[in-house]
Amino acid sequence: MTRTKRTLGNFLGAGLALCLVLILGVMHGPTAIPLPIILDRLVHPNGSVTSVIIWDIRLPEVAAAALVGGGLSVAGAVMQALLKNPLADPYIVGASAGAGLGATLAEEFVPLLNMMAPGAFIGALAAVLLSYLLSRGRGTTSMLTLILAGYAVGVILTSVTTFLMLMNRQDLSTIFAWEIGGIDGVTWTHVVLSGVLMGISLIVIWPFAHDMNALLLGEEQAHHLGVPVRRVQFILLVAASLLTAAAVYISGLIGFVGLVIPHIVRRLNGSNHRQLLPLAFLVGAVFLALAEILAESIPVVGPIPVGLVTAFLGGPYFLYLLVKQNRQGAWPA
Amino acid sequence: MTTMLEIDHVTYQWPGGQGQLGPITAAIDRGQLIGLMGPNGAGKSTLLKLIGSFWPKDAGHIQILGQDVRRLSAPERAQRLAFVPQTLSTQFDLTVREVVELGRLSQRSWRDRFLFRGRMSSGGLDAILDATELRGLQDRPFNALSGGEARRVLLASALAQKAPLLLLDEPTAHLDPGHAVKFLNLVRKMVDEDGMTVLMAYHDLATVGLYTDALWVMDQGQLVLQGSPETVLTDPKIRAIYHADLLPMRHPTTNRPMLIFP
Repeated sequence: MTRTKRTLGNFLGAGLALCLVLILGVMHGPTAIPLPIILDRLVHPNGSVTSVIIWDIRLPEVAAAALVGGGLSVAGAVMQALLKNPLADPYIVGASAGAGLGATLAEEFVPLLNMMAPGAFIGALAAVLLSYLLSRGRGTTSMLTLILAGYAVGVILTSVTTFLMLMNRQDLSTIFAWEIGGIDGVTWTHVVLSGVLMGISLIVIWPFAHDMNALLLGEEQAHHLGVPVRRVQFILLVAASLLTAAAVYISGLIGFVGLVIPHIVRRLNGSNHRQLLPLAFLVGAVFLALAEILAESIPVVGPIPVGLVTAFLGGPYFLYLLVKQNRQGAWPA
Repeated sequence: MTTMLEIDHVTYQWPGGQGQLGPITAAIDRGQLIGLMGPNGAGKSTLLKLIGSFWPKDAGHIQILGQDVRRLSAPERAQRLAFVPQTLSTQFDLTVREVVELGRLSQRSWRDRFLFRGRMSSGGLDAILDATELRGLQDRPFNALSGGEARRVLLASALAQKAPLLLLDEPTAHLDPGHAVKFLNLVRKMVDEDGMTVLMAYHDLATVGLYTDALWVMDQGQLVLQGSPETVLTDPKIRAIYHADLLPMRHPTTNRPMLIFP
């Protein structure tokens, strides 16, 4: 009973926090807009400057931050279950390196159209699928091999990216900014396209929540519990990569959200994916929307990319988790 | 009497030239508790993995209630056969109840999976939690349990599968005698009262004859002895298999056969 109550409380809290942060995100900016005006313009957009700022600048940015934060968190939770490692993240099997190369290739070879985002998208999916195919074994797919293959694929793709960057120096700053990750200049087109892709991925992932619980007990036990392990792993891997790619499409490579948020939610509410997945989405959305507000509020330097904020917050927390779990002997030497 | 499990000329090549298992041919009738014996490396765990079709066999047939295991879908297989591993560790904090509920995974429809109706009927689950004495532990994190408790949770999860055939891989390894006896009595009760069929890899020659209906003995990938505990434990070959001068004894109260160290 107490557990059910706690879960309910967590959902209510996270939902409320998301509403507050979304409103705060619209209020906050170079010119603060008071709440009554926001509410009025939301209901009656009138083409005034304030109305345009609310509808075409701040709302898409806030919505994008929430979507990216939520999407990366769910993708991280899925990867952690697949790899049976609580410190896995959405980029671990090559998605980020693939996205980086895809974006760079697009920028280099199709410079006239803005193909960087779709390039990143295709690159992320291709890199993950390549890592997966390389790690297919007899009967099962070794998740340890998948991590190692993902790492190697990542190193290779990153060096190709670096080589291409050095060949053509003027693009460095765009790609550099993209690799840190930011939400500035997002339009409704980005939000809708990314939102649709995320929606599809989430609908695919959701019915496998119980299977993910089973996978936490290891592939053999999941098999005996009736999970078609290999098929489920493949479906989840593709869906999580699609989710990651949809987030990367909006924001570039924002780090640590997909690692830290699922971890925090596991602490708060346990590892049952029926609750973890939706809660991770909510908390991730709150976290990134809040980080975006922080990123815009840094005095003196002005707005900084939100990826820097998440790295500043998430990096130390990650190290704390790592050291703590290591001292508890969670991993064999 | 119906045949629960039929193993027909099953072979498996261990990778890296470590030899071959089988061909093995054997069968288990419904409602029997079979002890699967043999020295380390004899192939007991491999045989269990082949029966559970976690590893693909190279040749032969395995049938459960007349159906080929490889032809069953994953959920269909899980409704016929459950597996209790020796140990299992996870870095994630699922509760005891959540682990036991996983036994019902194979019975969930797509409708169940999409809707927010995660919990199985509490009646069925509570009965299983009572039978395995886990009711008081149901909200505890599974990864913080003692060895004996964790073993009971895995058994409870297997019971929740409602499969008629149960495979146990050395269920009492690393348990103290008190917990071991309790666990074996629980398994025996499931066979006697619920008509379950159990194949249990097991090491202890002194106690195996007290709980089982028949024994299979494996050595170097072959099934070398089969029969009642009486015949198997008194067979002179058993000493050669274990390379030990074991003494046949009788249990002082039940008169069941035992083998003890010299």
